[in-house]
Amino acid sequence: MALKVLTVDDSKTIRMIVKKAFQPFDCQIFEAENGVEGLSAASREKPDLIVLDITMPIMNGVEMLERLKGDGFLKNIPVIMLTAESGKDNVMRIVKMGIKDYVVKPFKGEQLIERATKLVTLAPKKAGDGSEEASKKYFTVDEEFQVLVLPEKITRQVAVEVENCLEANFEQLVRSGMNKVIVDMRQVKEISVSLIKLMMLIIKSCQKVNLRNRIVGTPTLCNELKEFKETSDIPVDASLEEAKAGF
Amino acid sequence: MITINRFDVKTFLTKAVKDVFDTMLSMGVEPHDPDGGGGTDGYRIMASVGVVGEVTGVIAIQMGYGFAKEVTASMLGMEPDEIESTEEVSDVIGELANMIGGSLKSRLCDFNLSCQLSIPSITHGSNFKVTSMKGAQHERFCFHHALNIICVDIYMKAKGDGI
Repeated sequence: MALKVLTVDDSKTIRMIVKKAFQPFDCQIFEAENGVEGLSAASREKPDLIVLDITMPIMNGVEMLERLKGDGFLKNIPVIMLTAESGKDNVMRIVKMGIKDYVVKPFKGEQLIERATKLVTLAPKKAGDGSEEASKKYFTVDEEFQVLVLPEKITRQVAVEVENCLEANFEQLVRSGMNKVIVDMRQVKEISVSLIKLMMLIIKSCQKVNLRNRIVGTPTLCNELKEFKETSDIPVDASLEEAKAGF
Repeated sequence: MITINRFDVKTFLTKAVKDVFDTMLSMGVEPHDPDGGGGTDGYRIMASVGVVGEVTGVIAIQMGYGFAKEVTASMLGMEPDEIESTEEVSDVIGELANMIGGSLKSRLCDFNLSCQLSIPSITHGSNFKVTSMKGAQHERFCFHHALNIICVDIYMKAKGDGI
């Protein structure tokens, strides 16, 4: 069963950094913006670990911790405090509150994981977690062609998802004796840095395992791609049929 | 003023700013001459945290909005063109102010100047000016990353300085 981690911080940025740090592990992350929300989430989810900020509006981390320690149901949940203040007074205060560990900001995700592993057992995500889902989301097989359908907007997150399942899909394709990949970009509405980088990666990955590839896109996208040095020479077909015929 | 001056603000703040940019953003910053211009003109964002206690004041960080978007993208693991709302930029720059302010606050506490830190406040625009409270000591420290300037202003006065 996935480990439950609750991150309580008024900064979305910090919550995102905490989430990313735990991403490689079999964890379910819950978020709260202040002490009040944090207590409510803790009662509801009974997390295995709480990563708690000190300075927050509505109810700060110190008050939330006091209430947590006063609740028989929640008092044994290990808490790592996140604090921007490393002064002696602050550290003493944290220690007196019975905190298991604390991390001083600025911090790297690895530091947080190092502290967390002293308190809970973090199991790595099972192989295939996430990538299998992403594979179903983006890849389909159409006769002798593998079709990679890119969504409307390519963010770095989307690019990472595709990248994570690219190698496995292409290897499987090679094993099954197929060698034709169509990248269907007709849904893509705008060109972004992530899209260009992803296109380059797909093309390189195809070359690496001797897969042939063709790109399908709208005329507008085709014209826009011509304006970028990296993609100006890439031929773009207008339809799947045209791409299939082009191999 | 004497109490605040017991520690070397410049050395400490330079270390704190470099540490925050390096750890959170993998971005190297170097001190920049405050009279060299930049950082406080054009459309920009400023995040400030207040200090209240034995020492009262404000610590504010400001930079051009374009660079702030780059910083935000780096912190969130995104590309700058994926940053769509000012909310994300405000949150990240506010967090930087909180970390720099927190470091300074800790240092003040170590000198028995006990104080509390406020949550960050954000201002953005191209036509604003920050003025110090009466009698506060103001120091500006600037840094650069490539051609981008980051300015950190400290406005402070200690209790009992008779001001």
